[in-house]
Amino acid sequence: MRKLAKALLDWEAVIGLEVHTELTALKTKMFCDCKLSHDDPPNTNVCPVCLGLPGALPVPNSKAIEAIVMAGLSTNCQIQRRTLFYRKHYFYPDMAKNYQTTQGPVAFCMHGHLDVEVCADAAKERPGLTVCKDADGSYVTTIRILRIHMEEDAAKMVHVGGAEGRIGGATQSLIDYNRCGTPLIELVTQPDLRTPEEARLFMEKLRQAFLALGISDCSLEKGSMRCDGNVSIRRRGATELGTKTELKNLNSLKSLHDALAYEICRQAEVLEAGGTVRQETRHWEPRKRRTVVMRVKETADDYRMYPDPDLAPFDLPEELIERCRARVPELPDAKRDRYVADYGLKVADASKLAADPAVADFFQKVVAREPELVGTIANVMINLVPAVRQVTPAQVADLSGLLAKEAITFAQAREVLQIVDGTDANPSRVVDERGMRQSTDVAALAAIADQVLLRCAGQVQQYRDGNKRVVGYLVGQCMKAARGTGNPKLFGQILNAKLEKE
Amino acid sequence: MHLDGLSAAQIAAGVAAGEFSATEVARASLDAIASNEPRVQAFLQVSADLALEAAARIDARRAAKQELGVLAGVPVAFKDNMNLVGTRTTCASRMLGGYESTYTATCVRRLLDADAIPMGKTNMDEFAFGSSTESSAFYPTRNPWDASRVPGGSSGGSAAAVASGEVPLSLGSDTGGSIRQPAAFCGVVGMKPTYGVVSRYGVVAFGSSLDQVGPLGRTVSDVALAMNALVADGRDKLDSTSQDFRVNFLSQLDKLVEGMRVGVIPRLMEHQSLSVEVRQGMEVAQRALGEQGIELVEVELPNMASAIAAYYVIGPAEAFSNLARFDGVRFGYREPGCATLAEQTALSRAHGFGAEAKRRQMLGAYLLASGVYQTYYYPAQQVRTLITDDYRAAFERCDAILLPVTPTVAWHFGEVSDPTQMYAADLFTISCNIAGNCGISVPVGLGADSGMPLAAQLQGPAFFDHKLLRIAHALERGLASNGDTPLCLSGGERA
Repeated sequence: MRKLAKALLDWEAVIGLEVHTELTALKTKMFCDCKLSHDDPPNTNVCPVCLGLPGALPVPNSKAIEAIVMAGLSTNCQIQRRTLFYRKHYFYPDMAKNYQTTQGPVAFCMHGHLDVEVCADAAKERPGLTVCKDADGSYVTTIRILRIHMEEDAAKMVHVGGAEGRIGGATQSLIDYNRCGTPLIELVTQPDLRTPEEARLFMEKLRQAFLALGISDCSLEKGSMRCDGNVSIRRRGATELGTKTELKNLNSLKSLHDALAYEICRQAEVLEAGGTVRQETRHWEPRKRRTVVMRVKETADDYRMYPDPDLAPFDLPEELIERCRARVPELPDAKRDRYVADYGLKVADASKLAADPAVADFFQKVVAREPELVGTIANVMINLVPAVRQVTPAQVADLSGLLAKEAITFAQAREVLQIVDGTDANPSRVVDERGMRQSTDVAALAAIADQVLLRCAGQVQQYRDGNKRVVGYLVGQCMKAARGTGNPKLFGQILNAKLEKE
Repeated sequence: MHLDGLSAAQIAAGVAAGEFSATEVARASLDAIASNEPRVQAFLQVSADLALEAAARIDARRAAKQELGVLAGVPVAFKDNMNLVGTRTTCASRMLGGYESTYTATCVRRLLDADAIPMGKTNMDEFAFGSSTESSAFYPTRNPWDASRVPGGSSGGSAAAVASGEVPLSLGSDTGGSIRQPAAFCGVVGMKPTYGVVSRYGVVAFGSSLDQVGPLGRTVSDVALAMNALVADGRDKLDSTSQDFRVNFLSQLDKLVEGMRVGVIPRLMEHQSLSVEVRQGMEVAQRALGEQGIELVEVELPNMASAIAAYYVIGPAEAFSNLARFDGVRFGYREPGCATLAEQTALSRAHGFGAEAKRRQMLGAYLLASGVYQTYYYPAQQVRTLITDDYRAAFERCDAILLPVTPTVAWHFGEVSDPTQMYAADLFTISCNIAGNCGISVPVGLGADSGMPLAAQLQGPAFFDHKLLRIAHALERGLASNGDTPLCLSGGERA
């Protein structure tokens, strides 16, 4: 990424995102009662409505409306009480009615924002930025959200006979309408993002928020959350916008970051060579790590948008909005702040624990068992738990207790956790059964220390010559001699005392 | 048995009492259809098997002493834009020539739930675009009173089937007058209920904000009976624009009308387009209403003249959108031998749709185009608000407004060939759809010169359909006491 940092010295990138999220947590489609599932055989979850059969009419899914209101509340949007569905026309077989039911100028959610914290390392990508940096070099930037609107997804098309399932060269196109009519919310940001890292962090935070709401599984890989990036560059200090390109197939946070970085560098190269950037849609190829042209847009499509006469205008009752507000859970940012304030955790640690609702939930269950050990629990949650498959809050609480009492070392804790992984074994019992409990018998430890000091005369001499760091080696020797059952901190104290005395 | 002269109510009562069986009624209807169809061609499809099966089920239920619905054994015909499993739903278009319904429209379902017998699907203007049934892709329907004249449209088949005595009741749909105008041309009663009273689910859409399904029958009370069945289960949860409007229309008919007021618009009663016969018909109607103790008051609808312009913006815009789904991919006509998707879509539509359907869709595509939208669609919606406000003001002074249905009696085939001339004839019916109000066409006699049916139209405020029917019933009663109507045309009476 040195290339990116270099490009961003001369050029400023202007990035906006469009994020589609399928409301996978719902049971039924947007405008009919068909089951929401992509795993069933093709064209089995269909009805006159989602097939667009003559005479069928849409009926909005009230659960979907509640979900988008919650999405808006979680991203600081203003919820629009009066809003409409619109018809957006284009002829393509994946859209059964040849128009998509979506929203017009007024979406359910308007004018929101999310704050993104960028660490010091990535702050280098914004050389112009000096004012709002924190002492540690990190900075916070506010990304405005233009709107979040509700719409229906199109059917899935499979092209047969061509290369890689693409339409070029295909002999047949098959359509699976199971996905047609899936409730989709589309979030559009203002072009407030300036670096690929900001875009990645925004997307990560948005994903965390939507996961916490429980409205979608938010899988970029499976496509239940899809992100398109619009990016243009301009000379630092310039105010006019450059020509933008639209990036597609950004199906991981890394792809989003890398595709934007590639595209910024590509545009900089084109412009520096005296060329011009064409307005076009480009496809990210993750394996080749490059974007390629998908299509060139010369004229704007005319979708002939107009209010859908089959759907009465919405007049959201205040009571519904309040009910949704009550259902918005504590979001990662608020949770992180609470962990810092109430538990005294470091911001970085609190962020890690608060990001994923499942992790945060687990963490709090452990803390509820051993409220005094919150620091140790956070340490175990961040450094040990991610490596195992299935442990219970009770096991982690027990383990944290052992660590806090210094009954086992951190390395032993890792080992114990692996032993109890996927079982209902009690860590304390495992430690006892295997004789792993550390000795805190000072006399016994001192005897071991004496033996080590005798054996390691060279190191003792080094200590006396001023190399105090050699104690670490001696502690290691003591631990070895004690076969791991000694307490390294106690060994350290004993050794220091003995060496100083002599 | 013969159906001649039997009302729907009489048939239902007779079947319930065991005077005759539903099967006998169904056979009588099939006989009437067989003898009239060669001349009238009201039907696109006669569903004899469905009819006899339904009749047999009703007879079996009666034999088992089970309670029967309010339309027990009443033969009913459905406009061919209404889905009914076991029939084709073609909208009289080549585009849907062989299209088999996979589900049943709510309005159809409700009549069948009331034990009506489905006799088949009636002819119409293609996708309901027209006022004469001449734009049917298959064949025109002829006016039962005079086979050289049109039955009106777009629900021409539904009106002709009732007028010719093939069925006592039918359903039509009305986007700008498509129930009331053919009812007037054929001398039957036709009602467009308030927008939202009858579910649109399963009725192939033309203009979603204007379309409304309603019944056609020989008398106001038969229409009220059908309305009872249509609203019986309250709002349809499959149509988000439908409303819960459960009213017993039939029991409201004979309530007092004395002291009620009907508005007349002098400017329209003297409208230059009105024929002498139609004017005479309006005078007959005014007299009959007055004799029933109804007070006539003068009212105004100042923006009515703009209704046609607004309608021919909103209607085509919605039609363009609603008909976009006919592309030959999932159902309907598909052009064979196309090399690309674009070619298949273009040619299927070019050859599947008739001229008027194409004209309306192209108009709609233009009207919704960016840059044009603000010039036409948006002002049309503003006109819509003005017209709705005009009605609101007028209905503060009266319970219903009396209007002609059409400027003339049914015209001869080929007589009106300029589309805009045909559009202009919708002047008196369109504003009712624009405002979403209810309206009804009631026969008032035969023209002295033409011998063709004359009709009067009553329009009422939204969700006062029961009052409108009551006033229409009074009009009918007043006419009957003068010996004018109801019109009844027995099979083969006229050529």
